[in-house]
Amino acid sequence: MSLKREKRRDNPRQKRLPSNAKQRKTTFWSYLCSAPSLILIGLVVVFPILYTGYISLTNMNVYHWFDFDIIGLDNYERALFLVDSGFLSALLATILWTIVNMVIQLVVAFVLASLLNIESLRFRKVYKTLLMFPWAMPGYVSILLWKTGMFNSQFGLLNQWMEKLGLEAVRWLSSDVSAFICCTVVNLWLALPFMIMIMDGALQSIDKSYYESAILDGAGWLRRTVSITLPTIRPIIGPAVIITVFTTFKQFDVVYLLTQQAGAKTGSHFHTLITYTYENAFITNNYGYSSAISILIFVLLLVFSWKFHLEEKS
Amino acid sequence: MRRIKKFAAWVLALTMIVSLVLTAAGCSQGADGGGDTGRIVIWHDKEDAVAEALEQELTRLVPDVEFVLEKKTSLTDSLKLSGNDPSASPDLFIFAHDKIGVFAEMGILAPVTDFVSEDALSSYLDMTIEAATYKDVVYELPIYFETLLFMYNRRYMQDDEVPSTTEELYAYMQENTGRGRYGFVEQHSTAYYSAAWIHGFGGSLISEEGEPLLDSDEVKEALAYHLKFVELMPGEAEYSTVNTLFIEGQADATIGGPWMVPSAREAGIDLGIAPMPAVDETGLPLSPYSGVQGVYVLKHAAENKTETVRRVMEALCNPSVGIALAEASGCAPANTVCYDDPAIAADEMVNAMRDTAQIATPMPNIPEMDVMWTVTGNLLSDVNLSGEDVDTAADAAQKQALDLIAAMQ
Repeated sequence: MSLKREKRRDNPRQKRLPSNAKQRKTTFWSYLCSAPSLILIGLVVVFPILYTGYISLTNMNVYHWFDFDIIGLDNYERALFLVDSGFLSALLATILWTIVNMVIQLVVAFVLASLLNIESLRFRKVYKTLLMFPWAMPGYVSILLWKTGMFNSQFGLLNQWMEKLGLEAVRWLSSDVSAFICCTVVNLWLALPFMIMIMDGALQSIDKSYYESAILDGAGWLRRTVSITLPTIRPIIGPAVIITVFTTFKQFDVVYLLTQQAGAKTGSHFHTLITYTYENAFITNNYGYSSAISILIFVLLLVFSWKFHLEEKS
Repeated sequence: MRRIKKFAAWVLALTMIVSLVLTAAGCSQGADGGGDTGRIVIWHDKEDAVAEALEQELTRLVPDVEFVLEKKTSLTDSLKLSGNDPSASPDLFIFAHDKIGVFAEMGILAPVTDFVSEDALSSYLDMTIEAATYKDVVYELPIYFETLLFMYNRRYMQDDEVPSTTEELYAYMQENTGRGRYGFVEQHSTAYYSAAWIHGFGGSLISEEGEPLLDSDEVKEALAYHLKFVELMPGEAEYSTVNTLFIEGQADATIGGPWMVPSAREAGIDLGIAPMPAVDETGLPLSPYSGVQGVYVLKHAAENKTETVRRVMEALCNPSVGIALAEASGCAPANTVCYDDPAIAADEMVNAMRDTAQIATPMPNIPEMDVMWTVTGNLLSDVNLSGEDVDTAADAAQKQALDLIAAMQ
């Protein structure tokens, strides 16, 4: 058996020039194995986008549910009217929200992951499990727990502490700035486990000999971090950062459930792009119009993604 | 090793194909393919006690029909997606009347008068039939209705202290609010609750023709007058806060729905129910919205299961259904015959709701109302929570409502 293998390996012709038939067979086999996944992706990702694009060209609404017609780009023309001062301020708020969340997430996750990687640290696994805990809870439950358990002005923990300190109760979610801060805190609680896990994995993948050499050369902690740690983990955490940027940009549930939920509005006017368009388009039951807005947001995200990708490449 | 890899790849590919097929199959579980199999699928979003009582009563009245009651948390969204597809949608569904316009315009509803005679509906409360009618067609068979009630804790508010006018209520609130206690709480910035005050000033959120009325003088007066009450209530006044304050005895009185009653009684509260106070300025009582819960027939079921649906709808007209639901969950029956039953006649809460039904306003059932909930909620939040000027906020809300209604077309 081993002799046969040796012979095959020694045959340079076979190695350099695989027959076309064999290559075709390999390609066919690869596509066959990938086919179920490709079909699934097609059904779950590609089809809804294409269908939304198709609906955006129709007048599908409550009054034309089954008998809708193609009306061209009318919905897009109307959707552009939504780009008023409210839309632009929501867009700016969303960009600020994304930047603030990403900066804090990266810094906090890096610090915590670095602490978890201290060699003499005891009970490392316990800390890791505790830090992963928010990830195990459904987001909806976490958000409502924060809303009623922490921020509620009557029963929330924060106001209980304020009361103990002899201070006035505060309505944490009522003003734009405090609502922004509260939403950021909850979003960090939900998003940090993922970033910590990625950072932790990236830190563990760094070859220890780099640090040993650096220490021998007299490099301090800051120099080691700037010259070894950050450049080494950057390509590893890059995809996670890109994913999180887009998840944060199109955030809906944290902002909506904390401040804008129907029947439980708090008085704050802080909107992300998605919560704003929800209140100004999606509630109309006009699927053609709402689809046009969805496609516009999708294009906006594609442009951001493309720009981000180019910068990442450079 | 290579063979093992190949085998593993095949297994994975097959598993995925099977999952895809099963997922596709799972998506298409609705009513039957179209034929009358003697099986009726009913979607609902009610509490278990209501669903169980209804199922038991239907099984008793129509024993040869198999009933499948499926609870759907986002029933209306599911119906919008499944539409009239018999493989994905139910035969009947139970929901409040405010979505009738949306579903009737979509063209998925069959008139209930195709199955139930006009005579059978004559014993129903006028308010419930009015609520179930859209463009002169009755699309819903009313089963029970809900409306808001003035409730008080007898431990703190004596029967002779119950306010009969809003000014008396305000005076009581001033005397009894402070140090973590409230004389009166309500969901002051929610459209469903605030509508009672707007109706008390003779106003309305929207006309029958679908024209928003948020910038009308009556609405503005009501919002401005209501503000002084809001100042004596907690800033956050969503359902859980208001409910907890009343249940825990931190609030003496509230305006709430019948769904609050079981938890209040469980908490040992000596619960009193009183008529709504009248607005001093207009003499009109606070007139809350009422919601009529009933059964709808989908068009495909009306066409393919005509006889079974007819028998089920006729059974639902039987007063025993309303009585069973009232006994199980304190629902106020839509059929007036139910009130002749001694157990129902003795139920304080059910009768209080029947009395309130005389002054309650059915929620508008036109499609335009869908956007009014959000716009009115924003207006209330702007005025009550953000301290915006009533006139400015009401005018802006009117413009937003007009824009959104135009966008519906």
